Amino acid sequence: MKILLDRPRCEGHGLCEEEAPGLLHLDDDGELVIDSEEVQEGTAEAAAASAAVRVCPVAALRLEQ
Amino acid sequence: MTLRRIVIVGNGISGVTAADTLRAAGYDGELTLVGDEMHPAYSRPALSKALLREEADLTAHLLPPPTHDATELLGRRATRLDVEGRTVDLDDGVRLSYDGLVVATGCRARRLGTGQDDPPEELTLRTLDDAWELRRRLEERPDVVVVGGGPLGMEIASSCLESGCKVTLVSQGPPLAQQLGSHLSELFVTAARARGLRIVTTAGAARLVRDGGSTRVVLAEGTTHDAGLVVTAVGDDPNVEWLASSGLLRHGLLLVDELGRVRPDIVAAGDVAAVPTPHGVRRVPLWSAAIEQSKIAARALLGQDSVSLDHRPYFWTEQFGLALKGVGHLPFTGEPELVDGEPGGDRLLLRWDDDGTSGSGAVAAVNYRIPIPRLRRLCDAAA
Repeated sequence: MKILLDRPRCEGHGLCEEEAPGLLHLDDDGELVIDSEEVQEGTAEAAAASAAVRVCPVAALRLEQ
Repeated sequence: MTLRRIVIVGNGISGVTAADTLRAAGYDGELTLVGDEMHPAYSRPALSKALLREEADLTAHLLPPPTHDATELLGRRATRLDVEGRTVDLDDGVRLSYDGLVVATGCRARRLGTGQDDPPEELTLRTLDDAWELRRRLEERPDVVVVGGGPLGMEIASSCLESGCKVTLVSQGPPLAQQLGSHLSELFVTAARARGLRIVTTAGAARLVRDGGSTRVVLAEGTTHDAGLVVTAVGDDPNVEWLASSGLLRHGLLLVDELGRVRPDIVAAGDVAAVPTPHGVRRVPLWSAAIEQSKIAARALLGQDSVSLDHRPYFWTEQFGLALKGVGHLPFTGEPELVDGEPGGDRLLLRWDDDGTSGSGAVAAVNYRIPIPRLRRLCDAAA
């Protein structure tokens, strides 16, 4: 599955980075960078991606199957 | 014992996070999620921020659809818990049996008019329906009195002002001082006044009095304020009435241990739970704390290892053109060090050293985009 970012929505809280530091991070300007868009379903990475999507208070992230 | 039937009471971010965590931890038994609102879980922080804006993105509060595959019973309220019989009664007469229970019933807005026979109109902002109602009322551009100088009251005042209303804020002491400390209070109050907010401070609690069809706000000093619309933001009360006969409450609070456990088969998380912190047992009604507590509690219910609570919750507020992000124990007392930004400017990175009582420092970023991990590292460095 794929991690999708709705960039205008992102407020740069970075709670997602705390959930999935291996998949995405905020850069020095506070802009979210998705380092690994594709994640394999059923893996620990997929669980981290789901958690990252869930924790966003402005629903800027979603997962596409 | 292997759990086969878990009931989660509460469909806010705590309940949903607990459900997701149970599934992620391998729980594949029956899962039932009870929620008293008809809406699927939504982002509560968005209600007083993005959702109230004039040109609002009316989907700002929507969360991704759930993937926990629970049976959702929405629009229903739990009325009673029997801890011996392991059952939860709902207001439609249904009785749910469980072998594991997650209590995540959250809070409701405290109301100033409670107890009056014929209470005057008073809007609060806690639920999605509250937010829609407030939006609708603001279209008439009423003169608004907001009672409550905490972050929620200030966010509401800011949104009402942006909608073009004349707004008076009634606050016990300086707005935000109790919650954020005097330094940030002054920063926000200056910005609020510059945008036209009228601030009235009072030494005591305000009262609401009905005046025909409208509501009048009476202060402890005896002065009164008329308003076309009164919105109160004077705190919240945990939804624990359904636990009254359970024997689980202590002085009206649902106490949990450091893993969210109330007893071996019951955990609690989010706004309803009183958790042990270095500063005493207290509720921590913040988005990030609710999520953290729910994950820990869900794993504890399954008997799985977990990390312990961080106790330095992340929080944020947006009002009067200022966006604040903070980490650390509130309120932040004393004068901070300016880590980055111009003195007197409105783009600031501030740090408070450990004052000797909190055991950790604190940091606040104002109109300053910074990742939370970096905020936390700065906070650690100040400890």
